[in-house]
Amino acid sequence: MARAFLRRLALSLGVVWLVTVLVFVSTEILPGDALQVSLTADEAAQMTEDDFARRRAELGLDRPAPARYAGWLLAAAKGDFGTTIIGKADVTEVIAYPLRNSVLLGLVTALVAIPAALAIGIAAAYWRGRAPDFAASSGAILGYSIPEFASGNFLILCFAIWVPVFPAVITAFTKDPPSVLLGAAFLPVLTVVIGSIAHLVRLVRAGFIEALNSDYVERARLAGASRLRIILRHALPASVIPALNSAALYVAGLLSGIIVVEKVFGYPGLGLVLINAVEKREVAVVQAVSLIAAVIVVAMNLLADAAVMALDPRARSR
Amino acid sequence: MRIDPFALRKPAALLGLALVAIHLVLALFSPWIAPFDPTELVGGRVDPPGGEFLLGTDALGRDYLSRLLHGGRMALFVTFTGVVAAVTAGSLAGIAAAWFGGTLDDVLMRLCDVKLALPGILFVSLFITGFGESFGVLVTLIGLVYFPGVIRIVRAQALTQVNLGYVKAAQLRGESAFSIIAREILPNTLDVVYVEFAIRMSHAVLLLSTMSYLGLGLSPPTPDWGLMVSEGVGQLAFAPWLVLFPAVFISTLVIGLNFGAEALAGALGLDASRGHVGGT
Repeated sequence: MARAFLRRLALSLGVVWLVTVLVFVSTEILPGDALQVSLTADEAAQMTEDDFARRRAELGLDRPAPARYAGWLLAAAKGDFGTTIIGKADVTEVIAYPLRNSVLLGLVTALVAIPAALAIGIAAAYWRGRAPDFAASSGAILGYSIPEFASGNFLILCFAIWVPVFPAVITAFTKDPPSVLLGAAFLPVLTVVIGSIAHLVRLVRAGFIEALNSDYVERARLAGASRLRIILRHALPASVIPALNSAALYVAGLLSGIIVVEKVFGYPGLGLVLINAVEKREVAVVQAVSLIAAVIVVAMNLLADAAVMALDPRARSR
Repeated sequence: MRIDPFALRKPAALLGLALVAIHLVLALFSPWIAPFDPTELVGGRVDPPGGEFLLGTDALGRDYLSRLLHGGRMALFVTFTGVVAAVTAGSLAGIAAAWFGGTLDDVLMRLCDVKLALPGILFVSLFITGFGESFGVLVTLIGLVYFPGVIRIVRAQALTQVNLGYVKAAQLRGESAFSIIAREILPNTLDVVYVEFAIRMSHAVLLLSTMSYLGLGLSPPTPDWGLMVSEGVGQLAFAPWLVLFPAVFISTLVIGLNFGAEALAGALGLDASRGHVGGT
């Protein structure tokens, strides 16, 4: 088991490394170099050719691309993502609190969505082909077909305008303590939870149906195990395996959902930082956010792999 | 491919196919159906629905019905072009990976891993930060986002074929690798490819409308549902239809595509639910 896990760990590190290459290359193939990108129009107009050459040398842009990549990677590994173009702020400081806020939003969403999806998915599988299954399966398709920006604004309309129970826009600040942020974040969490449950329900349902049809559940049934014991002890652990196997997709979907609801509700997280950064062409910030998101997806996927190995004896030998 | 007509007669399948058909007709014929030019200022600001302007006007005084009818055109054109490219290239690459194995297979699989690690929104953001949001860039990025996923699915299907007799026979006849991939194996993976296309279309429409909503996709004055929602949000309190109508249009299209994909998968005897969800 340890060997199988170490193999996955090595693969994950390889993927993260490839993502760093992609993130670096995405800016490398731009028209113009990082200096031209990093100057405002006014600054560029005042500079002579010599100024350009000197600044390039200062920024290390006269070095070949692989050397610059190595420098960028080493700095990023230490948590230094450079400075922003406008205002010359430290990117790490710009993203630190928003990162915390987004992780908070994601954790709460997952904590609500995963148990709910398990319950709904198992109910749908247990009564498959009947009313609960039909409701859950159609509900799931609706849930992931309706984009978060539509459902989020619809929730604002229902619960902030027609029946004003919640604020339409988050009133919390970036550096507020978690309790304040979450107190204001009911509707954003609800918006992501809907899509999140919809995504998981069909995976859990498929896994549970497969488990119910398996030989070991048949054996348990013949051995006289109670219905509840079959569900909880035999079918449940196996039913989450398909969902765990697509953990990367789930986490990526969750991150996308969070980016969107942050924009919809004005929640001060990494999504808002990202959107502003793309609009202002702040390359260093977009790179940092992408890299962090990829590391989160890969790390969660690795955790899920470990969970599959713990649940499924067959996965340990692979 | 063998279609099971019975599976297409389920209510969900009919609903999905009907929604897709309606949206296709609207997207193709909106210039002739729409009562006004979608970018012309023809009425007062935020006129309510009813009267001369059936669904009211937006904040600039443009006819909302005309904008809604045109709103799927550009989005469907961009996503269709991108997804067709992704599915075509991805299918050939997926079969090639299964056929050749070895280094090519490894390289393509690592490509899939990288794509899996980076959510679509971030992948697109990363590139439009430098390239801007032009039509060509958006089509290319949509294509690149879905290319690796198609490889993975088609490769899995192709692996069930590479050792079958007809492939061996083609090999012994001395056919070229390209001929074996495109003329022997490809026709026998087409069922999967069609379902893959339908599912990726639903993902791509969601992704592009989300990018447009965030201000990182199609740009004004293009009539687009995602853009219209973001433009209407300011008037949500007193003119909620400005958000509700485009939200209904985009949702019905994606619901139709998803039910349609499910119906298609069912009719071809495949399972659409595995490993596909989570488009954006």
